[in-house]
Amino acid sequence: MKQIFQIKNTFSLLYFLMSALLLVGIWKVISILTEGEIPSPAATWLIFQEMLSDPFYDYGPNDKGIGLQLWNSVKRVFIGFSLGSLIAIPLGMLMGSNKLAMRLFNPLVQVFRPVSPLAWFPLGLLAFKNAEGATIFIITITSLWSTLINTAFGVSSIPQEYKNVSTAFGFSKWKYIVKIMIPYALPHIITGLRLSIGVAWMVIVAGEMLSGGIGIGFFVWDSWNALSLEKILIAILIIGIVGLLLDKFFNLIQKLTVYEN
Amino acid sequence: MKTNHLEQSNIATSESILVDSENNYHKINTQGTSIDIQDVSVSFRTSKGISTVIKKINLQIAKGEIVAIIGHSGCGKSTLMNTISGMVTPTQGRVIVNNKIVVGPSPDRGIVFQNYSLLPWLSVYQNIYEAVDAVMKDKRKKEKKAIVEENLEAVGLIPHRSKLPKELSGGMKQRVAIARAFAINPSILLLDEPFGALDALTKSSMHVELLKLWNLDNRNKTIVMVTHDIEEAIFLADRIVVMNDGPSATIKEIVDIPLQRPRNKKDIVHEPLYAEIHDRLLSLLIKKFSIKDME
Repeated sequence: MKQIFQIKNTFSLLYFLMSALLLVGIWKVISILTEGEIPSPAATWLIFQEMLSDPFYDYGPNDKGIGLQLWNSVKRVFIGFSLGSLIAIPLGMLMGSNKLAMRLFNPLVQVFRPVSPLAWFPLGLLAFKNAEGATIFIITITSLWSTLINTAFGVSSIPQEYKNVSTAFGFSKWKYIVKIMIPYALPHIITGLRLSIGVAWMVIVAGEMLSGGIGIGFFVWDSWNALSLEKILIAILIIGIVGLLLDKFFNLIQKLTVYEN
Repeated sequence: MKTNHLEQSNIATSESILVDSENNYHKINTQGTSIDIQDVSVSFRTSKGISTVIKKINLQIAKGEIVAIIGHSGCGKSTLMNTISGMVTPTQGRVIVNNKIVVGPSPDRGIVFQNYSLLPWLSVYQNIYEAVDAVMKDKRKKEKKAIVEENLEAVGLIPHRSKLPKELSGGMKQRVAIARAFAINPSILLLDEPFGALDALTKSSMHVELLKLWNLDNRNKTIVMVTHDIEEAIFLADRIVVMNDGPSATIKEIVDIPLQRPRNKKDIVHEPLYAEIHDRLLSLLIKKFSIKDME
């Protein structure tokens, strides 16, 4: 059994290496075709090593290490995502369990959900008088929708069977929420959170391009102004990898919360 | 275990009259009517108009009696039972349980659902504990835990206490559901096709277990069960209510089962009375006995 597992692992490692090779190959071809306007993988690798040698340096407001930039973006996403989830989960539970709440809030959700979170940025600036607050504000807005909709769906689909258990044994409202509603809806809630954090991580890059200051989005924009395409390419790869890790993390939690009947 | 139960009920009787909590008053008085169904009709509004499921049902069930409701699928057996549990409100008439009109579900009437209805995210122990905790709010945690332990032991599930429902066989799930219903110590136990999904062998042993629990409690609990298994009904019940086919189902006949208790599953089938009752029920329920009858 252990051996099979190892063979499987070896194969997936092999496939991973092959896809990395494919990426480098295509990249190289594009670099040659654009006559070096898009830097080659080798040139980018050199800059990457340089950046990694001191990721947390801080030489004033416009010159900070990639590690610091990344850390600030992750922190913002975490704060905005937490605030958004704290609003979305209880509201979703209310909408899922109460018809009136669903009728009242659902039209609002339908109208605001398709709006690009960036459109909220000026309102954030107005409200918080600073870019930091506005950025966290748009991440909060971004994190609302998927979690809200999935939570409401999960709660509204609680089978009659479990509700009957609750009425037959006279469960209190609190016991019903804690022992039936939340456990049943949890996989749906986690799915919502997983989708939300994915979008939040996408939006933070655009948000920081608008807000400036510090962060991975600002880093991309700043590198463009400095005409350092290598740095932009590196940033794209890093953004992708962090996004992947966030997704994997929620995937793991999702697997832990799934129950079978 | 058994003696312990007897002692408990003796104490309850000697202190009698003054004690009137929902959970033990039935120990004071085992005489009289437990359930009184008066002129009950249930109708539902459907897209094709109003459909009446059961019509003008009258039925009295005595305390400590076991009654089986039998009939073809869709004849409204479950609906009739749900009017007792309070899950369904009668369109006409009323149901009186322990001298009170039923207005909704109450822990005074324990329910064992058709599909077990265990909460899949809770262990065997927790499934029973949450029910006990919800019903016996005033008891201390230690007492509630003891009640759960006692009922787990009665159905032989102590070794499986930390398992999740998905790790249990059908028979074990049903044991948990029955233990949960007994644990809240209701005066009435309602079972909706409780053994329908079990294989014949498991079913037989569950019948004996159910009667064991009923005996442990000095046969004080009134049990109403819905079934479409004739043998099961005869083995368990004091009376069998045979329903007409729906819609607007009524009671076709009530068959008494004067077989002596304790009944022995193996011996009972050889009694002439058993064969007589079995025949009677068959002819009430089935019109065609061979392909010849179909012509």
